[in-house]
Amino acid sequence: MSVWTIVSRREFVERARDRGFAISTAITLVILVGIIVVSAIFDRGTRFDLATVGEGSREVARDVAAAARLLDVEVRVAAFDDLAPAERAVDAGDVDAVIVSGERLLVRGEPNAQLVALIQAASIQRRTRAALLEAGLSGEQIDAVLAQGPLPVESVEPVDPRRRELGTVAFVGVLALYGQLFAYGYWVAAGVVEEKSSRVVEVLLSTVRPSELLRGKIFGIGFLGLLQLLLIAVVALAVSMAIGRLEFPSGALEVAALVLFWFVLGFFFYASLFAVAGAIVTRQEDLQSTMTPLTIAIVASFFIGIAATGNPSSTLATLASILPFSSPLVMPTRIVLGEAELWEVGFSIVLSVASTALLIPIATKVYARAVLQPGRVKVRQMLRSA
Amino acid sequence: MLELQGLSRRFGDVVALDDVSFSVPEGRMVGFVGPNGAGKTTAMRIMLGVLTADAGDVRWRGRAVDAEIRRRFGYMPEERGLYPKMRVLDQLIYLARLHGLDRADATAQAQRMVELLGVPDRMRDRTETLSLGNQQRVQLAAALVHRPEVLILDEPFSGLDPVGVDVLSGVLREQAEGGVPVVFSSHQLDLVERLCESVVLINHGRVVADGRIADLRAADPRRLLRVEVADGAGPDGWLRDLGGVRVLEPLPDGAILELDEGVSEMAVLDAARAAGSVRHFSVVQPTLSEIFRRAVAG
Repeated sequence: MSVWTIVSRREFVERARDRGFAISTAITLVILVGIIVVSAIFDRGTRFDLATVGEGSREVARDVAAAARLLDVEVRVAAFDDLAPAERAVDAGDVDAVIVSGERLLVRGEPNAQLVALIQAASIQRRTRAALLEAGLSGEQIDAVLAQGPLPVESVEPVDPRRRELGTVAFVGVLALYGQLFAYGYWVAAGVVEEKSSRVVEVLLSTVRPSELLRGKIFGIGFLGLLQLLLIAVVALAVSMAIGRLEFPSGALEVAALVLFWFVLGFFFYASLFAVAGAIVTRQEDLQSTMTPLTIAIVASFFIGIAATGNPSSTLATLASILPFSSPLVMPTRIVLGEAELWEVGFSIVLSVASTALLIPIATKVYARAVLQPGRVKVRQMLRSA
Repeated sequence: MLELQGLSRRFGDVVALDDVSFSVPEGRMVGFVGPNGAGKTTAMRIMLGVLTADAGDVRWRGRAVDAEIRRRFGYMPEERGLYPKMRVLDQLIYLARLHGLDRADATAQAQRMVELLGVPDRMRDRTETLSLGNQQRVQLAAALVHRPEVLILDEPFSGLDPVGVDVLSGVLREQAEGGVPVVFSSHQLDLVERLCESVVLINHGRVVADGRIADLRAADPRRLLRVEVADGAGPDGWLRDLGGVRVLEPLPDGAILELDEGVSEMAVLDAARAAGSVRHFSVVQPTLSEIFRRAVAG
């Protein structure tokens, strides 16, 4: 086993064993399951409760329900024997509308326009049919007259019917990525500070090269972050399926895969920078200030990423999805929503990998020099000194 | 043989080491002494590769020391350092593995070390919960766990109680007897004198004395007398009229005196007898402290 894998194994095991890790994983899962369940409750499809009283109402209601089904709207019909209880039900908000004797509609306040339109259309068709029958047309003729298809709708901007759902899933993905990049980047920085402040680093550097120590730390922590994210993804998908929120194949699986992939890209990009932020201070209290530029970059990317779930084709979102510091939080969303060109995706990945490859040796150099220096160290100085 | 050849190192304008050379044969325990800031820690860090030298090199058994050879060195830095939250045994196993031991060997060695250093009942505890003395023992275990070929310890005795000093002395002697060259720095010169056959004395980044303590003492040209006089008012009184004699080190009832050339011991004895009853009068060799003071002052 090479030295850096021994280092990374320690980083992984010691953190995975930590009680704080178990607690934070549990909290993340609880929050995530909460978001899924709550959004499922509020995001249920449209549903109307319709009541019928008197002759001829039930038929209309049946037509309404049939027409509504085509629009993905659920209509539940309840039959009342008398008008009085039906009126009370409307007044109490238990039903949205009452069809009275197939002749009039009883509602409370401003009724839902879609429901009214559905009922009116069904009623007009039924009355038209009756009038045509009376005029002596045969059933077949009437059917032929009435069987007119709806007007075709052409949109100048076609919308994926799953777009809303995909947007929600992408939002959860951005949220998870943001939390993960932050938490694990911080762990790298705090781990470096711990070694520096406890001065164990001198013992380590007497047998391990700084580059191996850094690589082991980044891989160990990154692998743990990836596994935790995988666990979160599996639980989120399982819960979503269990409560019937998602059906496979939907965007969820795609989002999960993209999130995992971009976590790896983003983590490696940020990890070496977090290591530098840790190496130039000796106390955990000073870490906040040296991490500030990274914090700003991640938070800004997060907000762009959230905005992109609603508007994935804006110039800002496009640019942010290509730049390495923000692409992990923006590109997955644009891909899922079908807004990313293939070249953009490829360019973004190449840029991310290339800048990481460029950053790691520089960061390693600064880390190696700063990690044995007491107190607060200036990065520029570390880069300059030979 | 561990050899340092012409080590030099600067930090900005400060010369920390200036052409430092000395060697430590296998099985020899060497005290590395010098005033604060003399360059001891810098030299040790360079031996371990924690720092690089601007010039010169470190050789072990005739070969320039590289990362692979260094893995077989044991090091105890002046600034003690262990992972505070890691369990003692895990920590030792981890460090042993970094030094190249396989898992089974590392585990066996770590267990052996906690028993040898008397902390077996704490081996499953987090290191930060141990007393400082016990943490120091774990630190020593960390330097020894991989059966090092060379031991380099920076101030290993500082902060130890007399029992701890005895335990550590015993362990270091055992290591040296097993053929390991042991280099340790210390300000406790009496301890160095008791433990080491040889010393390297460094000042302002340069080696000012190097060799067997007995040889250094014999080579010291000074004539020293130890005189104790009961009921005397201290040597300053009866020495006043005696030219060419200086108090090197005051003692409770007398002093170690340094005699200039031409001053006879008998003249000193006469002066002492005139002052009171002489309890002790002998020719002595300089202690390591005196050699140290002279070398540092000169």
